[in-house]
Amino acid sequence: MKAFLEKKGVLAALIAAAGALLAIVTLEHGPGKGGSLLFSLLFFIAVVEGCIAAAAAGAMVNARWVGSVREELLSVSPLLLLLSFLLLLLIPFLDIYPWAGTPGIWLRKDFFIGRNLAFLLLAYVAARRFAAAPADGEGTKSRAAWYLLVFVTSQSLAAFDLVMSLEYPWISALLGGYFFIEALYGGFAVSAILCLLLHQRPPADSAPGSRSDLSDLSILMFGFSLMWAGLFFAQFLTIWYGNLPEEVGFIARRLSASPLRELCVAVLFLLFFIPFPALLSTRAKSNPYVVSAVAVSILSGILVERYVFLAPVVRFSPVAGAIDFALLLLLFLAVVYKGSRGTATKA
Amino acid sequence: MENAEKYAKVDRDILAAMEKPGRLYLAGLAVAAALTVIGGILWAHQIRTGLGVAGYTHPVNWAIYITNFVFWVGIAHSGTLISAVLFLFRARYRTSFNRAAEAMTVFALMVAGMFPLIHLGRSWVFYYLIPYPTQRQLWVNFRSPLIWDVFAVGTYFTVSVVFFYVGMLPDFAIARRCKEGIRKKIYTVLSLGWKGTDREWRHYGMLYLFLAAFATPLVASVHSVVSWDFAMSIVPGWHTTLFAPYFVAGAIFSGTAMVITLVIPLRKAMHLHDYITDDHFESIAKILLFTSLIVSYAYIVEFGMASYGENIFEMEAFRYRALGEFRYLTWAMIFCNSLVPLTLFARRLRRNTAYLLVVSLLVNVGMWLERFVIIVTSLAHDFDPYVWGTYRPTYVEVGISLGSFGLFFMLYLLFVKNLPVLSITEIKEHL
Repeated sequence: MKAFLEKKGVLAALIAAAGALLAIVTLEHGPGKGGSLLFSLLFFIAVVEGCIAAAAAGAMVNARWVGSVREELLSVSPLLLLLSFLLLLLIPFLDIYPWAGTPGIWLRKDFFIGRNLAFLLLAYVAARRFAAAPADGEGTKSRAAWYLLVFVTSQSLAAFDLVMSLEYPWISALLGGYFFIEALYGGFAVSAILCLLLHQRPPADSAPGSRSDLSDLSILMFGFSLMWAGLFFAQFLTIWYGNLPEEVGFIARRLSASPLRELCVAVLFLLFFIPFPALLSTRAKSNPYVVSAVAVSILSGILVERYVFLAPVVRFSPVAGAIDFALLLLLFLAVVYKGSRGTATKA
Repeated sequence: MENAEKYAKVDRDILAAMEKPGRLYLAGLAVAAALTVIGGILWAHQIRTGLGVAGYTHPVNWAIYITNFVFWVGIAHSGTLISAVLFLFRARYRTSFNRAAEAMTVFALMVAGMFPLIHLGRSWVFYYLIPYPTQRQLWVNFRSPLIWDVFAVGTYFTVSVVFFYVGMLPDFAIARRCKEGIRKKIYTVLSLGWKGTDREWRHYGMLYLFLAAFATPLVASVHSVVSWDFAMSIVPGWHTTLFAPYFVAGAIFSGTAMVITLVIPLRKAMHLHDYITDDHFESIAKILLFTSLIVSYAYIVEFGMASYGENIFEMEAFRYRALGEFRYLTWAMIFCNSLVPLTLFARRLRRNTAYLLVVSLLVNVGMWLERFVIIVTSLAHDFDPYVWGTYRPTYVEVGISLGSFGLFFMLYLLFVKNLPVLSITEIKEHL
């Protein structure tokens, strides 16, 4: 299998095959297919763009830890092309959006799909340009900056268009910022897992991939857990205190019935109440078990939150959802594996 | 050069800034003091006559004073960012700015704290803001964001003063050694018997790290609370979830601009080019650019959401901001805060201190305008067209506002001549 993956063109063929399979699963008649695809799409857009954004942010500030996982983080960029294609598969399902069919400029099906597609493709182009630049070469930082600008716009659009407009006219101006910070948080979590998987036996203390890189990533996850909590609280408090029916309804729908109520609490725990105390001590920050558990908690938190966002308004097909998610996850693992092999070959 | 000689040079160079002031310094101090006195006289006039001398009219009952409060609290924030956050990130260039930034934080908070009292009118009953048990069991309204301000700003001021003072302890000991007469006695008291033993340094390092880690979340919490003064209300243009991070970023943006505004003339006047280099200015200019991008994002999202939500009140509030009678201020704000800082993408401009000074001054103006535009336009154009109104500041408000700038610069100029303007011990660490 390993040798198979390393053959030229195999990965591209796999991505194309997965895309075809996803198209068949999604376009086949049946309730909830579109909702399941939207769920997987939202999660993987965040994680894939977040991984590249983590590498770009690290490059911008000359972070040392980037050196140990840069190639693997950037290797996921081809998935952005697949995600762009999957976005097109949502076209038949846009009727689940309450604004569908009503006149308007911003909320029009073609413009809606067009702008999201454009920014996903732009993110792909920017990510490829950044990946093509040498790690510490001329122009790398400017390419990283360009990617980050596109990333912020793309994630904001995902939040405002794909999620917020599901409950139109509910609005939260913070949702875009909340999404891109969360994606970056997820990117750091993936970086920590990669750091552990690729460098299980840290060599010298100062070498890339050693414990100090892991500690740096742990500090970033710790800081982002606080930032996430701050953004969550700012959003929740304003909506709760304002107590306007059109905005408090969003929270009320999710907190008034099981199992969404429990899932909401789980999101809080997975994204803040587990990472924050777990990474509080210095020793825990370099403990592989603690760090990997926290990273998994963060990624699970993002996944559960995506479900909580969609569940009250979107129908899901469990089988289609499982296939969509499993295929995208396998592809994600395959591209990262290929990226890590590339690094090993270069080394 | 031998290490001992290098250290002695650092002592000499930085303590030289505390020598006898020149004419330019005295002139600056006189202007700042005069503005402060004028502001004080006008405040006394307002207390004696009543709030009628301010330009408050229905419906604009929050105006320049609250603008100044938010502006000065914002200015205070970058002090902690540069000092505490960059300390935690181990950014070396902070050494060039941290002392000036910490002093700026303390003075800006002192000035900011005055404005709620000025705005109250009956300033002598300010203690009603403080929650304490009374015989009649009267408590402040804990559900009001204005009371959250008292806690947030009070805590931030206390921590900032302690952080500022603790950071100066080793430098006071150096000043004690180098100065004579009454100043020596003052520095002796201020240095708390610092001897520089290993044990003292270890404890000092732990305390400084703790204070830096403690102060960092405070930065976010304080300006979030200030933003909630507005966001918790349902006034169009104010009630938005984005306000907390947007205000925090704006605070750091304005504070960074003020640090640049203060440090560029300081470097020239005190001949500190060896310690505050163009590389350091380039690094701080990047922070300015980064925070400008966040603020610009917030502007776009705010306008976008007003249009997206199709709430007629919200749409009208933003239409009025962009095209109403305060439109020039709105567009000036966008020019100063979003467009001018974009030029800092050019490395050559980031390293040009004269240009950087102009940009930072424009950002200061832009950020003051931002607070004014947010506060006044939303109140002037509330829900009901029958109660729409406008606002014109009176000479009392303008004078008190200028007085606040006078007070800030007066305190800063006194700081420059009485305390080490750079952290001597940290500079020596990096030699």
